[in-house]
Amino acid sequence: MSEETLDPEKWVENYADMLYRYTLVRVKDPDAADELVQATLFAALKSQHTFAGKSTEKTWLFGILKHKTMDHFRSTKKNINVDITDTDADRIQFDTTGHMTPSPNNWNVDPEKAIENKELAQVLAKCMNGLSEKFHRLFVLKEIEGLSSEEICKEFNVKPTNLWVMLHRARNQLKLCMEANWLTKE
Amino acid sequence: MSILKMTCKDVYPLISEEMDHSLSFSRRVRLKMHLAVCNLCQVYSRQLQMLRNLARNLGKENSQAIEKKTLSPDTKEKIQKYIKGKI
Repeated sequence: MSEETLDPEKWVENYADMLYRYTLVRVKDPDAADELVQATLFAALKSQHTFAGKSTEKTWLFGILKHKTMDHFRSTKKNINVDITDTDADRIQFDTTGHMTPSPNNWNVDPEKAIENKELAQVLAKCMNGLSEKFHRLFVLKEIEGLSSEEICKEFNVKPTNLWVMLHRARNQLKLCMEANWLTKE
Repeated sequence: MSILKMTCKDVYPLISEEMDHSLSFSRRVRLKMHLAVCNLCQVYSRQLQMLRNLARNLGKENSQAIEKKTLSPDTKEKIQKYIKGKI
């Protein structure tokens, strides 16, 4: 296999949009995503000598972006805990017999095949934008970055019970948004 | 509270919680007992799992879900100029 080389003059053309979308899924604010892509490519240019040619140019650039994104999360951490006694924040409704109402359904998709459904992913991206900054951050760290609850609690100074409640509420909000935006499309 | 008398409202937060850490034995039993008889909570559980799978996919480097979003031309030009000036 020939050794990979870097071609910085082609970076914008080949990777800018790809890097931007990757960031935009994780960082709600488009301006912040824009800056992260810039910072990534500038940093890459400065550290070209660290590229060993063992990975592809694309993988190497994404590696830098991933570091920058985590740094961004760390630098903007504020008090992320919420008042978990605020039960109004849970938007799922129950009828008098204690059953969820309206009844949850399978979103007209085979759960096994849902992952391949591009339109469903688009609706999720849209719904994620409706989450508060705090919920968005936690959902991204847990479900997209795949960090463990322990890592999130330690890194962002969140109490475990608080984290579980916030993730529960974020998921419920997404679930309701998915139902409202996906099912009414039919 | 009797296990059989528990409603969805009592049990359903455990469905999400189990996705984030392992439940204590008694809570796990309570959840499994309820799921065994409650179709609605089974569906809800599948929904949360679909959210998780979709999110993982959305976060991949080659995800096509937001393919219409592009970096602004101004920023692209700025980066291109910067790179040209340095090499």
